[in-house]
Amino acid sequence: MPDPAPSAPEASYPYSGPPALRRPIEDALRRVVDPEVALSIVDVGLVYGVAVDDARVHVRVTMTSAACPVADWIVDELRAELSRVVGPQRSIEAELVWEPPWSTERMSARAKAFMGW
Amino acid sequence: MEHRAHERARQGLHGLVSPRTALRIAVRGVLTLAIATSLVAGIAGGLLRAGVAWPATVTWLPQAALAHAQLMVCAFLGSVIGVERAVAVKRRWAYATPVAAALSAVAALSGAAAAAAWLQVAAALVFVAVNAVLLSRQQAAHTAWLLAAALAWLTGNTLHARDAAAAAVVPWWFAFLVLTIVAERLEMTRLMRRRRAAAPLLTLLLSALLLACVAGTLALPIAGMLYGAALTGLAAWLLAFDIARRTVRARGLPRYMAVCLLGGYAWLAVSGVAWWATSLGAPARDAALHALALGFVFCMVLAHAPVILPAVAGVKLQFGRVFYAPLAVLHGSLLMRLLLPVWDARALALGAAANAAAIALFAVTVIAAALAWHRRNARAPSPR
Repeated sequence: MPDPAPSAPEASYPYSGPPALRRPIEDALRRVVDPEVALSIVDVGLVYGVAVDDARVHVRVTMTSAACPVADWIVDELRAELSRVVGPQRSIEAELVWEPPWSTERMSARAKAFMGW
Repeated sequence: MEHRAHERARQGLHGLVSPRTALRIAVRGVLTLAIATSLVAGIAGGLLRAGVAWPATVTWLPQAALAHAQLMVCAFLGSVIGVERAVAVKRRWAYATPVAAALSAVAALSGAAAAAAWLQVAAALVFVAVNAVLLSRQQAAHTAWLLAAALAWLTGNTLHARDAAAAAVVPWWFAFLVLTIVAERLEMTRLMRRRRAAAPLLTLLLSALLLACVAGTLALPIAGMLYGAALTGLAAWLLAFDIARRTVRARGLPRYMAVCLLGGYAWLAVSGVAWWATSLGAPARDAALHALALGFVFCMVLAHAPVILPAVAGVKLQFGRVFYAPLAVLHGSLLMRLLLPVWDARALALGAAANAAAIALFAVTVIAAALAWHRRNARAPSPR
């Protein structure tokens, strides 16, 4: 789907759902910051996809490590931020996925600049 | 998907509490109490060792002094790291590690030294299995080194249970902590463009650390020198390649965490030098052990508590600049502990008491931050 707002920051994940919610959802996900790396989960490239319909928001998210104990905390933050923008009628499903494994190619230009690439 | 099951369980707390949930809450309560006991007793025992006077009426204190290292490393840090990894692996049996490790503190304090030692062996055995599962899930350098850390812990605990000398056991215990921390940081360094020499250099340094442990077990004279060199080398590696050098430029919690990490790496370097000096006969053993345990390891604890506590215990903290206070006291008190005894050996007790005060101040800071989060969110409820 082409991006309806040319000024929107690059999003590294596929989105399906109402175009009006695309930007608020992305902004909400950008507020979820992994404190260990000081970057949002969108910039690190942890969000694999967002699908929205009338009843639910389904987010597929990964972590950089299977040994990461902060995964639940990040998923909780994600749910809290999304609940502020998607309306009370939609349930939020956060699915933790490990395939394909995360790699540095998923990092945004901003993230790479911050990490000195 | 497992997360959804976890959410359902969490929601159950707000409604009817099932017997299984009640049991889980009870286990969590007992575990928290046992972990806190191991920390308090471990510190009290350490203070007695450093020469702080205690009333003779505290009957468990001699045991705590005798078991200081195992209370701190195996019972306290072993159970904390065990919980952290159990949360990540999401297997109920993985909690056997922190339960056995924390119970070993109770056994040690009641004088059942052998039971304590074998509980620690059991804890480490389960921990090896947990890390093997994680390695099978993600075959990467950092998960392989986490398994190596677990094996180092198992080796140290087995040697201890078989009454090996402290000089043989302690390097394995510290290798467990150092390998764990370095492996976790290694995972983070993936976010930075890696220099070609970084990976082989790290393999060399961690292998040298493990070789030094083996040399220590065999009582070879080179052990201390090699161990110290490996520690200082690892500190240099972390200072050069860790993302903390980048995240220290951020604000708020990420910056605080980076400040803790960088300070910890400096203490790791100091410990390596002190370890090396000790092997040459200098009176630096206390400095080697405590620059490593308090300087390096506790800086990591202070760094990660604000994110790990919400993740593993569901306790959310309101982060603020006040978190820098216990960190500053920890650094200052460690300087006191390492430097003052050069002029007056009795000052060791003063430094140790200040170390304990830093940890107590951190505990108070965490409790205050948890209350502050509750107050703030009671006023402005989240839309969840």
